[in-house]
Amino acid sequence: MTISRAVDLRVRIGPMALANPVLTGSGTFGYGDELAHVVDVAALGGVVTKTVTLKARAGNPPRRIAETAGGMLNSIGLENVGLEAFVREKLPRLRGLGATVIASLGGETPRELERLLEALGGEAGIAGFEINFSCPNVARGGAAYWAVPRRLERTLQRLRPLTRAALIAKLSPDVTSVADLAVACERGGADAVTAVNTFVGMAVDLEQMGSRLGRATGGLSGPAIKPLALARCHEAARAVRIPVIGSGGIMSARDALEFIAVGATAVQVGTASFIRPRAAHDVLVGLRRLLAERGIARIADWRGVLAEAGPARRERPAAARRRTSHG
Amino acid sequence: MAVLTGAWAQVSARVLRQREHGAGHRWLDLEVPGGIDPPAPGQFVQLLLAASASAALLPRPMSVAACRRRPRGWELGFLYAPIGTGTLALAALETGAHVGVLGPLGRGFPLDRPGTPVLVAGGRGVAPLLFAADALGRARRRCEFLFGARGRAQLVGLAQARARLARLGGRMHVCTDDGSVGWKGHVVALLERVAAQLEGPLVVHACGPHAMLKAVARWGLARGVPSFLAMESIMACGTGVCRGCPLPRSARGRAAFRREVVPSLYGNEEWAMCCTEGPVFEAAALDWEGIE
Repeated sequence: MTISRAVDLRVRIGPMALANPVLTGSGTFGYGDELAHVVDVAALGGVVTKTVTLKARAGNPPRRIAETAGGMLNSIGLENVGLEAFVREKLPRLRGLGATVIASLGGETPRELERLLEALGGEAGIAGFEINFSCPNVARGGAAYWAVPRRLERTLQRLRPLTRAALIAKLSPDVTSVADLAVACERGGADAVTAVNTFVGMAVDLEQMGSRLGRATGGLSGPAIKPLALARCHEAARAVRIPVIGSGGIMSARDALEFIAVGATAVQVGTASFIRPRAAHDVLVGLRRLLAERGIARIADWRGVLAEAGPARRERPAAARRRTSHG
Repeated sequence: MAVLTGAWAQVSARVLRQREHGAGHRWLDLEVPGGIDPPAPGQFVQLLLAASASAALLPRPMSVAACRRRPRGWELGFLYAPIGTGTLALAALETGAHVGVLGPLGRGFPLDRPGTPVLVAGGRGVAPLLFAADALGRARRRCEFLFGARGRAQLVGLAQARARLARLGGRMHVCTDDGSVGWKGHVVALLERVAAQLEGPLVVHACGPHAMLKAVARWGLARGVPSFLAMESIMACGTGVCRGCPLPRSARGRAAFRREVVPSLYGNEEWAMCCTEGPVFEAAALDWEGIE
């Protein structure tokens, strides 16, 4: 334990100094207090809240969940208490937790996001804002609307002056180029990008002859998307100088280690918290141990070690090497 | 409306035994260490198998069919049908295998309501009602137990249920749609017959297929008999965090939501979360037309 404690896990996301790189994923950890009786939320790098919108949203009709191979589809539809109740009921409790709070904000237009940030941008107890530019489950203001580099850049330019807290853009993976979106966010003044939100997915029921969700499609998360998310995270990290927060199918400390190796500064644990509410805490403990075992004293020394990754180097038998050299 | 959700925890439990329970169903006893509160009848737990034992990613919500105190912790009984990825993997577990238990979750049957408890079970919905009968028996309260199904094959564990009820001093009434066992007809028709012979007030607690629960709810609403229905839903987390298990509120349910202080974890004005506000709901709270 003494050795593992020596690992310096501190990371910086814009103006935000985090004790470690392990965050919760928006929508998988409530508003921060619901799981506080089983997770020491103050020990995590940060808690990203459920997305808050100007007005409360009731969310989509059932069914909202469908399990698929190695993953799950959700069609929640940004159900949340809305800005007013968030400020009145949730914020005071969040402040009492001692956690680093990152509020996730969602809007259908740049103006809606401005109004949210006008209301919350100066609130004590919020260290950062993650703008949800990537919900796959809403009719308006979802991933498809925001996946336009120019729109992202202009919107972030309008949001930037409204807060001195960290401003993070959460991106959709369902785009031609995550790199283009990440660059637009950097130009717009974002302190970081989160790569990535859920992938649009579909599951049908051949007995009922219809979607297994209340809508045709949902957002796919869980281990099934980890290789896809890792590639998007890698792509984004190579494209920008601002930090990238890796997200998508992170279930274990090893998964977190992979995202950081390809260039992520921090990671988000999402769906894993549905299965094991202490998952984010376990990732943090495991990360510290794995880095210590590898003799890494600072998380910064691990970041990006595989950013230029080629094929893994393997010790091949001498005979195989000879064949290769002749072939 | 009570606003407290009991504190749940996730612990590692051990399979004590599994056995056939008739009609293609299995009975599972788990030894659960201390560290979680004992579940109440109608509450459920999330069972999580090791990745090596099951291809299912998500835990499986399962209502508790029995709870006994052990020297350290609890022995929990479950009745289930091995029909999907998760339950088939569960059925393959040997004695001693480890299972994650997260619970107790949700709100159970309000068994302390004054009046004669009438328990109405449909098929494997018998599971939480056996537990309810146990609790009533321990409180020296006599219950009426109605058990209905399509036919003999769907009366899951009828013999065991009869024996348990006999020990508890409850009265068992059985019916089947096809008349293969007991009275011929639907369990709601049986409820009408039995209720006529009982002195009021009555309180109905029911669990079974949603079509049956709809019929029981409508019966109770039409006669002014308070009825409590244990609902089912696909779930991810089971703790209110994922918002994955909404059930539609009735106009009265929406009005109650506006009037009372309801934790946001329970849902919103339109939808009640099955996992936190339920799984047991009073008939008047839900929009039965909108429930599949």
